[in-house]
Amino acid sequence: MLELKNINAGYDFLQVLWDVSFRVDEGELVALIGPNGAGKSTTLRTIAGLIKLKSGEILFNEKVINDKPTHLISQMGISYVSEKLNLFTGMSVRENLILGAYAIRDKEVQLETLAYIFELFPRLEERKDQLAGTMSGGERKMLAIARGMMSKPQLMLVDEPSLGLQPNLTQDVFSALIQLRERGVTVLLVEQNVNATLSFSDRAYVLEQGKIVMEGPSKEIKANKHVRNAYLGI
Amino acid sequence: MAKNSSARPLMSRIKDNLPIVVISIFSLILFVAIYIEGGNAQIFNTIITGGMWALLAVGLALVFGVMNIPHFAHGESFMIGAYVAYFTFTPMQEYLYTNPNKFLSAIAPLGAILTAGVAGAILGIIIEQLIFAPLRRRTKKDWIMNAFLLTVGISFVLSNGANLVLGPNFRGISRYWDVKAVEIGGAYMSVDRLIAFAISMVTIGALWFFLRRTRVGRAIRAVSQDETGAQLVGINLNFIQTLTFSLATAMASISGASLLFLFQAYPTVGGTPLYYAWYVVMMAGLGNVVGAIIGGFIVALLQTATQLFVAVSWTTVLPTVVMILVLLIAPSGIFGSEVKGVQEQ
Repeated sequence: MLELKNINAGYDFLQVLWDVSFRVDEGELVALIGPNGAGKSTTLRTIAGLIKLKSGEILFNEKVINDKPTHLISQMGISYVSEKLNLFTGMSVRENLILGAYAIRDKEVQLETLAYIFELFPRLEERKDQLAGTMSGGERKMLAIARGMMSKPQLMLVDEPSLGLQPNLTQDVFSALIQLRERGVTVLLVEQNVNATLSFSDRAYVLEQGKIVMEGPSKEIKANKHVRNAYLGI
Repeated sequence: MAKNSSARPLMSRIKDNLPIVVISIFSLILFVAIYIEGGNAQIFNTIITGGMWALLAVGLALVFGVMNIPHFAHGESFMIGAYVAYFTFTPMQEYLYTNPNKFLSAIAPLGAILTAGVAGAILGIIIEQLIFAPLRRRTKKDWIMNAFLLTVGISFVLSNGANLVLGPNFRGISRYWDVKAVEIGGAYMSVDRLIAFAISMVTIGALWFFLRRTRVGRAIRAVSQDETGAQLVGINLNFIQTLTFSLATAMASISGASLLFLFQAYPTVGGTPLYYAWYVVMMAGLGNVVGAIIGGFIVALLQTATQLFVAVSWTTVLPTVVMILVLLIAPSGIFGSEVKGVQEQ
């Protein structure tokens, strides 16, 4: 579904990603793990079209997308939930969600998706008239994921959903992601919480210093000696 | 004890919104003073002037809020609107002079004002696509400063261009509607003024509805709050920015056209309206659309009060002094500004 071929990318003169290649197949939940500054977020930002490539190719459903602007990539079915969340803080929860479905012009489909989202995150329904900027960190994160789902994406890129959350909220966010996969949405997840991520993802890639150093089914990665030493501390 | 707990939130609420409270009380005092000294006529005068400034300032606030452009060519949109209305209205007027027709005489001015609005919208698209879109693609660095300098340049080019093509002559009309002034509460108001006020209110109302209730309007607000977030949900940034600029230019053109009988059309006519619109947005809070509407009326109140109690020649001085005082106490304006770009850059 998504394929990165020899991606080189970065900010101005600072190159972050070196020859990164990987693929995500339909229906998978793939984890991208690695230490701080390895380029995990940069990878997602590059796929979303927020950073221009130096060289390489990104394919989505066999089509080249790396020459397209962000809004078209989003309309093609890739939803990026950024680390900063990028919520519309001066608008209500409901308005944020409706804007998530900006590319869907059919009002009825919009409202159906909204009802489904409220079923999935009852907390958001309770707060639908509250301004997004006045919500707690966990609620904001949920709102960002929910907004990303409103466009009925085929692929979701989720950046550090557990960052700064207390453990029981982290659990909620993870179970939301697992539910997403059960509904047939493909997910590419960047996470710091390596242990938990590797226990529910299908496959994983390890990114270090801008290069893919390891790949395989999550179980195998979890059993790997290097990963156990460096990330799991066992 | 109970009395204390109910009094405390009120006091702290006043403290949080001190600039708003002070300016409301100040405005109320001015309003009463104007009423006592000048009666209904001056009150109506204030409200009508306030409507004009509000319409102009809303455009400025929108452009600054969504695109982070401190727009100093807004007065030239006003000028273009005045010219377009003049050149469409006078031929119609001549025709109606020889072929009197009551219905057409009532409609013709509205047609001229509408034409000016459309011309303004097109001008806005051209300026945005020709100047700001290329700059945006090239670099976002020092955006506010670059954009500011560009708008000043556009202002020079347009007003001197008008001078070159049309000459420095004043072109104007004495009135749009050839009917008697209307009496309201003992004060006589010309129909032109009343309709100019109605047009500004209807335009602001339409904009309000557009921003709050429509899909694209919501997208404009989304861009003003988070550009990246807006792109991520599939909003075309380029389209929204061109649209916003076009809307603002159209609004300035409409106000230039509907006030043709008051200002006339000449190359530098945009100066005064531009400065008043800037007083309004600086005082109310840059990029704050609601603040701009209320601010328009506050500035009008200050103007009328100066004319009544000080002297006509001080009309621009006192609003400026008040603006400076406001900025000294509340640097982001009375109603504050939530523009993302200013803090980030």
